[in-house]
Amino acid sequence: MGEAAGAVEAEPVDEAAGVLEPWEVFRQEKDGDPMRHGGSVMAPDATLAVHYAREMYGRRQESVHLWVVRRADIHDLADPDLLQPPLDRSFKKPGGYVMREKLAAAREASGQQKPRANKGDR
Amino acid sequence: MTESEPVERIAMDFTDAGDGRERAIALLLLSMADDEFVIGFSDSEWTGIGPILEEDVAISSLAQDELGHAQALYRLFAEVVADGRDADAVAYDRPAEGYLHARLLDHGRGDWAATIARRYLYETADAARLAALAETSFEPLRDLVAKIRREERYHLMHVEAWLDRLAEAGGEPRRRLMVALEAMGPDAGTVLALLPGEPALLRHGILAEPFAAVESTWRARVDGTFGRLGLAPLPATRDPGTARTRHSHAFRALHHEFTMVRGSEAAATW
Repeated sequence: MGEAAGAVEAEPVDEAAGVLEPWEVFRQEKDGDPMRHGGSVMAPDATLAVHYAREMYGRRQESVHLWVVRRADIHDLADPDLLQPPLDRSFKKPGGYVMREKLAAAREASGQQKPRANKGDR
Repeated sequence: MTESEPVERIAMDFTDAGDGRERAIALLLLSMADDEFVIGFSDSEWTGIGPILEEDVAISSLAQDELGHAQALYRLFAEVVADGRDADAVAYDRPAEGYLHARLLDHGRGDWAATIARRYLYETADAARLAALAETSFEPLRDLVAKIRREERYHLMHVEAWLDRLAEAGGEPRRRLMVALEAMGPDAGTVLALLPGEPALLRHGILAEPFAAVESTWRARVDGTFGRLGLAPLPATRDPGTARTRHSHAFRALHHEFTMVRGSEAAATW
């Protein structure tokens, strides 16, 4: 190499280049399926992250679509006060309050029967 | 393969392989198959020692792809030559001097920069060769080339990403890349060197244009990339007349490695 090698050796190495970081990979198994988290790869940049995701989660034709996201770009929330509060939150579930016992008690107090199913005779 | 192997297994003899067209096709197929086989086997040496886990998987997978291409090309060659040998016999039962891969691939795996340099030079040349075969009149090859080109797209993306990173990193990565390119540069064009059957390939519409034209297209591409990266342009091809013969010690060592198992028990089944 002679002179040429000496000349480039004097150049500084870009220290930021080549530093590995984690990337999260989401994969779709077939058209119409949701994207599901597959795992992660280590890579220095997005291009190589996509290449490695392709190798790790697609080389056996097990995916039709991949999303590759830098883990640092993911907004993380794991606070138990926000996600698992200590008080009963059952009323926020789609089923709502459990009403059966309350209704039965109210009917008994007022002497009413449970209404019959609508037979269309109104 | 030992020194005492019978002489008839030494020579790749195409003289009984039909007319000029079939001989030319056989020579083309074998040169391409040997290229893919040698780079595939050589790159597979990175398995377990790749720069990082992900790259280890990636280079191993790429090497497997190349071996898959070689297998398909050897099968097609065996059909064309129809001398009773199957793809494995063609791939493994020749002495080192019987292989027709380009001299570029006689350069050993080397360090990671050398592997990337070799892959870049080979993959870009192979892409130009495959483009010239995309419309080939030999239908089985046209189908195979279409499939191979779809995989080679990713191979090119992978190696170009690495070439850029090594070249642009400066310091030791760039220096190692330049050392490798300087060593391999004069042999890079051997992938597209004239094959003896070229007139027949052109006459029968097997190959779209002469290898010299394919080489010009390839050089323009490489010159553009090297210009952008500030790398020295590729030199002219050294000794094009022996582009695919007189293989190196590095290849003889590789050949010893990849024939070892079959050489120990040729009739073994798996």
